[in-house]
Amino acid sequence: MATGSPRAKAVVWIAVLLCIVFIGIQFIRPAIENPPVTAEIQAPPAVKQILRSSCYNCHSDETKLPWYDQVAPAYWLAERDVEKGRMALNFSEIGELSAAQQKGLLFEAINQIQLGVMPLPAYRAIHPGSAVTPEQLEILRAYLHPPAPKQAAPQAQVQAADAQYEAWQHAANAIPAVQPEPNGIAFIPDYKNWRVISSTDRFDNHTMREILGNEIAIKAIAEHRINPWPDGTVFAKVAWAQQPDAQGISHTGAFVQVELMIRDQKKYAATKGWGWGRWRGADLKPYGRDASFAHECVDCHKPVRKNDYVYTAPLAGQGTGGQQ
Amino acid sequence: MRAPMKCTGLLCAGLLVIAAGCSGANSRVATHINQEAALTGNLPYNPLAWKVITSWIDEQNGTMSTLFGNDAAVQYARNNSGHDYPSGAVLAAVTWSQQEDPRWFGAGIPSSPKSVEFVSVIKGADQKPSWSYEKYEGSPLKESSKAEASVPGDRAAWLLAQRAAVMP
Repeated sequence: MATGSPRAKAVVWIAVLLCIVFIGIQFIRPAIENPPVTAEIQAPPAVKQILRSSCYNCHSDETKLPWYDQVAPAYWLAERDVEKGRMALNFSEIGELSAAQQKGLLFEAINQIQLGVMPLPAYRAIHPGSAVTPEQLEILRAYLHPPAPKQAAPQAQVQAADAQYEAWQHAANAIPAVQPEPNGIAFIPDYKNWRVISSTDRFDNHTMREILGNEIAIKAIAEHRINPWPDGTVFAKVAWAQQPDAQGISHTGAFVQVELMIRDQKKYAATKGWGWGRWRGADLKPYGRDASFAHECVDCHKPVRKNDYVYTAPLAGQGTGGQQ
Repeated sequence: MRAPMKCTGLLCAGLLVIAAGCSGANSRVATHINQEAALTGNLPYNPLAWKVITSWIDEQNGTMSTLFGNDAAVQYARNNSGHDYPSGAVLAAVTWSQQEDPRWFGAGIPSSPKSVEFVSVIKGADQKPSWSYEKYEGSPLKESSKAEASVPGDRAAWLLAQRAAVMP
């Protein structure tokens, strides 16, 4: 009899033990609660349908896990994803935010989908049908970008920008006293003398930007060494409000912010090899409340981690023919 | 024999799907330099080697422009609200066709260059300033118009009137 041998007995015991452990862990269940929906997103049915089937399980208060997610340890992963997902973006509460904030979150969501980061690749693999198809992506894009002709900027906005310009002209030669970010990154006033790497028309938030690079960055572009960028590379991204004139041409209006990315693989190892900083307004107020703000920067740049966390594709040709 | 092979095949296919999903390979992210926007042709100066004064976007024409200046021009624009650039100042307006940023839906970035315009301030023999305006178009960029006058033309005057973007 096989059951009589000691080896077979051991196998049976191990199997029984594993069964007990498996059943036992089912009782470790942090609850996933579905609180009442308070301020659900207002969107056309076709858009909402896509959000429901691809996003709502982790990004709403209407989580509906399939049976295979109910079983631990899969359940624990699901619980963590739901908690983190709702914190970042909750379609059941998004209505509480301002229209501009909602739009910003939706643009970010579409970009995460478009760059293949959302739904999470592991989630997509396990949940067939959760991936957003190219046709669905087109529906989302069309919803967010209806063509709208630009109206001339309101007079109050123009006057505020004019006042900021006048104040800046008066103080042009003074180096402003600027506080460092709480992570220790200091402002670099010389950024404005760096060369242009690219420019962006951010119609999603009505800003326009110039991306500038220090000499090490310019050399790296000339030598095609931009992934990874060499230590010492610094980028400055300068943003202004778009200020359309009566002819529909958008000029640089009020200065919004300048952001720095400083490459030092060792020093900034904890934030993917980059030091991050952002100073807002003409008085250049540091953005971070504490050092952890940099994780927000890293999270937003994560979709381009394969490109060394850099969004900008630099223009070619800054390095040659600098004759005056 | 058949059934196990089929199973192995299915397993492999399944693993491949998961691997493809996890690797997150996305052509939008692939590292590249924006060669399309490079300024080809024989320009008298390379504006990209200069500093930025300001920029503008012409949505109707689908273009975006950056105004560069040599040191004399930048120094003047950042410290004066007038349009009276000193002799030796050169402005360069580079206008690109715009393309959608593949890495950010909601953004436009430079595509191929449409034109490069230069405005130079020259002091004549009588110490009175005069202006030259040159425009380069096409691919590669070739001179398409040139004018010299004691009064800047409409387009040159428009370029000279663009005030510097605030850069504290």
